[in-house]
Amino acid sequence: MTSNDDSDLIERFKKGDRSAFEAILLRYQDRIYTLCRYMLKNREDAQDAAQDAFLKGYRGLKGFRPESSLYTWMYRIAVTTCLDYRKKSRREVFRSEPLTEDLPSNGPSPEQLYESGEIPDSVQLALQKLPEKLRAAILLREMEELSYEEIAEVLHTSVGTVKSRISRAREQLRHLLKKKFD
Amino acid sequence: MKCSHVNKLISQYVDEALSPDEKKDFDSHIKDCALCREGLQEARTLRRLFASAERFPAPVGFSTRVLANLAEEENLRFRFLIAIRPFFMRAAQVTFALVVITMGILSGNLLVAEKTETIEQAAVVREAFSLDLFQATPPDSIGGIYSTLMRPNHEI
Repeated sequence: MTSNDDSDLIERFKKGDRSAFEAILLRYQDRIYTLCRYMLKNREDAQDAAQDAFLKGYRGLKGFRPESSLYTWMYRIAVTTCLDYRKKSRREVFRSEPLTEDLPSNGPSPEQLYESGEIPDSVQLALQKLPEKLRAAILLREMEELSYEEIAEVLHTSVGTVKSRISRAREQLRHLLKKKFD
Repeated sequence: MKCSHVNKLISQYVDEALSPDEKKDFDSHIKDCALCREGLQEARTLRRLFASAERFPAPVGFSTRVLANLAEEENLRFRFLIAIRPFFMRAAQVTFALVVITMGILSGNLLVAEKTETIEQAAVVREAFSLDLFQATPPDSIGGIYSTLMRPNHEI
């Protein structure tokens, strides 16, 4: 996959060729879905978020500016959509549950999801405990292998902030996984 | 280099993002510090865990569902445009009528302004261009004659 291929697809889409979007969808669906699976707790939310991300991408593709690459642009939409989903689910929990910390949450904990097979491995289990911004940064680095500059573009922040977030994420994950395996 | 500083650089070290000078200092510290070496080892293990972490293929039928949703969305947009079309047509008709009336009034006023020299003349012409075409009882009609006759101070 090269950015030249992406540019061709974007040009074709802008000229009204709908099949170009289908090609973009097929090219990125696995990567976007994987990102959503690791960003969100369960597979239904991940599927809905990935679908929403592509719908948003379709609506915005005509205004896409060629100075950024298509995949960083798609990742940005996916990360924003996942963060919105998490905010939404937090609001729903807030509305449906009394503000008493002693009471257990109705939803399954990451450990329960891990034991049921919903969260497939220890890395994802530990990832669920990271703050969202750190999780997004480390996922883009480790799973998608983006450079610091590309991650900064996706997360709309500076390279320095990206370095710091990835470093903090790694440190927290090291502690979480160490606790689990000790 | 102190341990706290090395600890902060571990992440960039495993990403090979340190400058040559920083890398040299880092390497020389690591050689002598077991604690930092352990931290680096853990960071490398973490990278391996991520490398072997599962990549999820999109669920079966995912792209079909996205495309179906897009088609549905476009269909809804088209139906909405069809539904609001009569209102647009009526609004366009009303706007056109208003534009024609406004242009008529403005051009009439301009004609009056150009062709007359005095205020009295302008008043006469304005009256001639007036839209008040329908006098209920013009003086030379039966009604007009009757109205004139019925005035209290009329002299026969």
